[in-house]
Amino acid sequence: MQSETPLAIQVQGVTKSFLGQRALDDIHFEVARGEVHGLVGKNGAGKSTFMKILSGAQPPDSGDIIVGGQAFKALNPAEGRAAGIAIVYQNPELHLDLSVAANIFLGAEPRMALGIIDEKAMARQASELLARLGLNLPVGRRLGDLDIADRQQVAIAKAVREKAHVLLLDEPTAALNKAQAEFLFNLIRDLARQGMAIVYVSHHLDEVLAISDRITVLRNGRKVALVDGKGADKEGLIAMIVGRTLDAVEPRRLDKPRAEAFLVMDGVSSEGGLDRVSLEVAKGEIVGLTGLIGGGANALAAVIGGLDHRHVSGAMTLGGRPYAPRAVREAIARGVLFIPEDMRGRGLVMSLSIAKNISLAALRSLSKLGWLKLAKETGVATAMSEQLDLNPRAPSREVRFLSGGNQRKALLGRAIFADGQLFVLEEPTQGVDVESQRQIHDHLRHLAAKGATIVFVSTDLEELIALADRILVLRGGRIEQSLSPEGLDPQQLLAAIQTQSTRSLN
Amino acid sequence: MSSPAATVAQAIRKPGGLRTLDIGRYTLLIVLLLIVVVTAIGNPRFLSVNNLMNILFQVSALGIVASGQTILLIAGGLDLSVGAALSVAGLATALTIMSTGSVTLGILAGVAAGVVVGTINGMLVATNRATPFIITLGTMTFLQGVAILMSGGSPINGTGKLFDVFGLGDFLGVPWPVYAMIVSILAMFLILRFTTLGRYAFAIGGNEEAARLSGIPVRRIKIALYALSGLFVGAAGVILTGILDSGLPSMGTGYELRAIAAVVIGGTPLIGGRGTVIGTLGGVLLLGLVSNSMNLLGVGANFQSAVLGLIITAAVLLQKKT
Ligand SMILES: Nc1ncnc2c1ncn2[C@@H]1O[C@H](COP(=O)(O)OP(=O)(O)OP(=O)(O)O)[C@@H](O)[C@H]1O
Ligand SMILES: [Mg+2]
Repeated sequence: MQSETPLAIQVQGVTKSFLGQRALDDIHFEVARGEVHGLVGKNGAGKSTFMKILSGAQPPDSGDIIVGGQAFKALNPAEGRAAGIAIVYQNPELHLDLSVAANIFLGAEPRMALGIIDEKAMARQASELLARLGLNLPVGRRLGDLDIADRQQVAIAKAVREKAHVLLLDEPTAALNKAQAEFLFNLIRDLARQGMAIVYVSHHLDEVLAISDRITVLRNGRKVALVDGKGADKEGLIAMIVGRTLDAVEPRRLDKPRAEAFLVMDGVSSEGGLDRVSLEVAKGEIVGLTGLIGGGANALAAVIGGLDHRHVSGAMTLGGRPYAPRAVREAIARGVLFIPEDMRGRGLVMSLSIAKNISLAALRSLSKLGWLKLAKETGVATAMSEQLDLNPRAPSREVRFLSGGNQRKALLGRAIFADGQLFVLEEPTQGVDVESQRQIHDHLRHLAAKGATIVFVSTDLEELIALADRILVLRGGRIEQSLSPEGLDPQQLLAAIQTQSTRSLN
Repeated sequence: MSSPAATVAQAIRKPGGLRTLDIGRYTLLIVLLLIVVVTAIGNPRFLSVNNLMNILFQVSALGIVASGQTILLIAGGLDLSVGAALSVAGLATALTIMSTGSVTLGILAGVAAGVVVGTINGMLVATNRATPFIITLGTMTFLQGVAILMSGGSPINGTGKLFDVFGLGDFLGVPWPVYAMIVSILAMFLILRFTTLGRYAFAIGGNEEAARLSGIPVRRIKIALYALSGLFVGAAGVILTGILDSGLPSMGTGYELRAIAAVVIGGTPLIGGRGTVIGTLGGVLLLGLVSNSMNLLGVGANFQSAVLGLIITAAVLLQKKT
């Protein structure tokens, strides 16, 4: 079908280097009108860089971008928009203090006499547009009050309003749960049916396979394959991405956690929304927390990590001793390390190097009387970079220059280096590629085998099943179900998360 | 003449730095060289060893204050009260020497005044939601009042041995205040690069929440940083009192602006998270060169302050995009 339909965008021989290193090497690429084109590759393969070049956010070193019959050496963002190219980032760049309608119509507001914005017309047109797209969003609400999934929908509606005919989506579902992702897929399919060309970047290969007409695979900045979405299977796709074969399904842990309880919670309620949670986690156990947004998984992590400490009632013990941290610092002093999902906002210090981000929670072990042992720090960071397959292996590189997945690895490296007894990890592998995800999982299993306890929050069903010894589904601030991942399939887990009834299986 | 410029360029260079940083770095360098060339042509005396030493002598107190201010800006903070605090410290020194006759006690009083004021600022900043700008604007106004009360409105003259050392004395031809400035910059350099305190400052300025989630005692560190800056201000107050052989309620006026300007010119962004004290030294020298050359070229005081304003604005605009 592709050869007959007109091309929406075509790329010929695009090349881009950073600091003398090739990020993209002679890329040829095309998307037809009405096509959903998947773009996959390992962390640092060049996907985001390529998307930025397509949208005009970054110039290529060489090559041509052909849109609307016109060849560009480089686009600037305004030209990109004029040519009908829209990019939606994982966390869309919108104005949080403006309403949904105002965001959609930013720069093209309907006006009355004297140039005054016609709020009513704007709200009406926004409602009409959203209705046409099958979206149910409150046009008058402040954008900052909406969650990420809704913000993405607003960004997409804005692109439609701007008459974009190429939509670039860079890991749109990384921070979404399954239901939100499904909703987005339906929207994408609708838009494609109406003739929109869509480029879809993701590490969730099942999604990519389900939604893409064609899939381009990048490896080390080179295009290594272009496959038909219908004919491809996951195992084959993984092999192309990674360059070697991996099992389609990740093998689970073989050893068993120990019997002694390490973390005990007894009727714990919190300001963050926990409602009389009682829980025992064994030493060396890996517990996965999940549920719908606001269900309480993150609230539970916040209490254990020492972030949410006001108005916490109930009792906790850690390693047999009472545990009531009044600050994150106190939790860390007890060997409890928390890693937040919001990597950019709350995790990494973007102005500092990889090494300095990795060492940040454990400077005590890298200093003597307040003096840093810099050589040791570099050594430690180098070793950690190797263990986590961080790319590039340059401890002195500022983390803001890393690809998204590699930033996540650096953040995780901080917790692992700090050598805790209890790790509390929110979305530990969000945005991380298949191979690295397995490496990280192996690493966590290894830590658990050595006696560390791990509590992680995840919306990734496969990750929950592959990594956890026990999956807890939270709803309304309570532990609603406790599931054994042994033999559990993702659909069952999804049903458990989404079920409205409050009956408990165990 | 090329060596400070080269050092400055070295210090501000960042591996893989953005283009904006490069502009900032070269701007400083070019401006420095332009000033040197223009002034040297206009007045050959400018490049004499005597005059260059004179510039260093004149900026010494500023260099000390700016060293302290550097770590505050790196940590995402700011202290507008350093000028007024410098006056208070200077007056504390002069008054103590006057009433006890002991220069040692005078030095201790001045340094202690700086540390106390810094600590109070730190506690206010660490425990309030208001920005450091507003909080230290408040303490600045308060301290200006204190300085006038302390002096009774007129200079406290006569510092005896303090004047002999800092006002008149030198070692190997270099005035003692210049050594004090070098020691300050060196100390701050070591703190920033080699101590946990310095690292914490970078982390807090880069991402305060990430610092907190990494177990860094953010409040305590902030207080410590303001106290540390206060120590530098106190030392500068003592030295300036020695140079002037008196304590004046207005002796620190304008220091806050010039110190912050020097730090920003030196490549430390107002939003924090990065920066170097060597860059600050470059900023201090730039300001010193500018005012010295304007003096030599016979530029009036009002015009000089307009030029200072332009430099500060340009520095901030160039930094904006990092
Ligand atoms: N501004 C920059 N300066 C230096 N290097 C950069 C810059 N931007 C990207 N890179 C490098 O280019 C390479 C490609 O990065 P890119 O962000 O495109 O990867 P990606 O495929 O999107 O990875 P991920 O799956 O982790 O998001 C990486 O090695 C990255 O470190
Ligand atoms: Mg990316």
